[in-house]
Amino acid sequence: MKPGTKLKSAVCDTEVMVIRGSDAVVECGGAPMLDEKPAEAGALADAFAEGTQMGKRYVDEAGTVELLCVKAGKGSLAIDGVILKTKDAKSLPSSD
Amino acid sequence: MAKVMQGVKVLEVAQFTYVPAAGAILADWGADVIKVEHPERGDTQRGFVNLGGIKVNPKRSPFVEHPNRGKRSVGIDISKPEGMAVIYELAKTADVFLTNYRPSQRQRMKFDVEHIRAINPNIIYARGSAYGDKGPERDTGGFDGTAFWNRSGLADTFTPKELDGPLNQAIPAFGDSIGAMFIAGGISAALFHRERTGEAVEMDVSLLSTAWWAAGTSIDMGLDCGQIMHNAMPRSGGNPGNPLMGNYRTEDGGTINMCTLTPGPHIKNFFEHIGKPELAEDERFSSVEALMQNWEAASAEIDAAFRSKPFLYWREHLKTYSGQWAPVQSLMDLTTDEQALANDMLFEVEAADGGDPIKLVRGPVQFNHEPVQTTRAPEASEHTELVLMEMGMEWEEIEKLKALGAIA
Repeated sequence: MKPGTKLKSAVCDTEVMVIRGSDAVVECGGAPMLDEKPAEAGALADAFAEGTQMGKRYVDEAGTVELLCVKAGKGSLAIDGVILKTKDAKSLPSSD
Repeated sequence: MAKVMQGVKVLEVAQFTYVPAAGAILADWGADVIKVEHPERGDTQRGFVNLGGIKVNPKRSPFVEHPNRGKRSVGIDISKPEGMAVIYELAKTADVFLTNYRPSQRQRMKFDVEHIRAINPNIIYARGSAYGDKGPERDTGGFDGTAFWNRSGLADTFTPKELDGPLNQAIPAFGDSIGAMFIAGGISAALFHRERTGEAVEMDVSLLSTAWWAAGTSIDMGLDCGQIMHNAMPRSGGNPGNPLMGNYRTEDGGTINMCTLTPGPHIKNFFEHIGKPELAEDERFSSVEALMQNWEAASAEIDAAFRSKPFLYWREHLKTYSGQWAPVQSLMDLTTDEQALANDMLFEVEAADGGDPIKLVRGPVQFNHEPVQTTRAPEASEHTELVLMEMGMEWEEIEKLKALGAIA
């Protein structure tokens, strides 16, 4: 998958844009993501149902893949069954 | 709402509420606002875990949404020369450079007015500071709690002298939000001036100047007659000299604020409304001179009348009163106030977490009677690739800068 490519979930509304790619197959909600949405959505796997958040970046442990979520959905993003983590701002704890 | 700022590009290198909220107002008005954030930490305000002791949900933080809705976020490390080079590139096509970094930081990282003007001589350079960009404390930072509320004299003026210490600001980003509107107004005037004359100006608003303008009538008065108004302890009753001014307690402990500065024309209508039409015929109160003279006796009568009925009764009943008054409401009461909602006080943005839409308060200015339509605040660095590619940067360069940690 090439940077700039859009991938769509086969089981929920999630859509991502590939920021950093590799040969890996990205899954969402337990099923491989596709270039186009299937006519009928598949079943969401319970173990991959944490949901995605729009505007968040998702990365693998090795840092070889980075995906930008452009549409939120119910599935979890994963590669080879390993759930991808969000790349969160490491903000400095503050309180007013 | 009419996008009066459509086509205007704002480059925002700023944090917290005060200056970013000016960018949010301009974005509400249609400007393309690019918010520069630290690649790892984001805007420091993203780290706020409490709002006055109330826990904040970081996915739906009002501290992020209120000052950043409608923008795009680009992650750039401005402390790295490679990062600053990206800022310069973005500045080339920007109309406005908006910042609240301190002078020493602007100099050290080389994005002060002379550095940005060297790249783009036609850019409007807008600064928001704590205490102003001139004078011995121009490099001193601050928040609205310090500069706007406490140092300015506001806390002192709002606090009755009987209390043991000054009142707090009570509303987060209160001075920030007011000052942000001043910045947006100043930028609008600067854009108009540039359009007419071609001259790009520098512009400053400080949190201190925000407060001194808001308190201007009192300060001017104090200078001229050596005395200023000061809050007194709350009580129920009329103000000295005008019983149709003052707070009156209701039967159930609510408060009606009477604010009829010119009571004469309203005497009859008022006494009818409080169920004492006979008092309008009483020679102590029937003329404005007599009413002002006998304000204490009038106040006692009015106080007794208000205490005979509950708050909700008065709130409805006084709607037909010819003079000025208000029910003393809470901020949350305002969110269900028919009149506020009829004027589009609230608008919704899609939530990033896919949950219920987030309701936000609009800015004070409305164009063409139309509600605000905009998008949620960006996630930190959400639009880096998009904005940089729009600017003409190749993917290889983006990868290279990422590897250096200059962008994210």
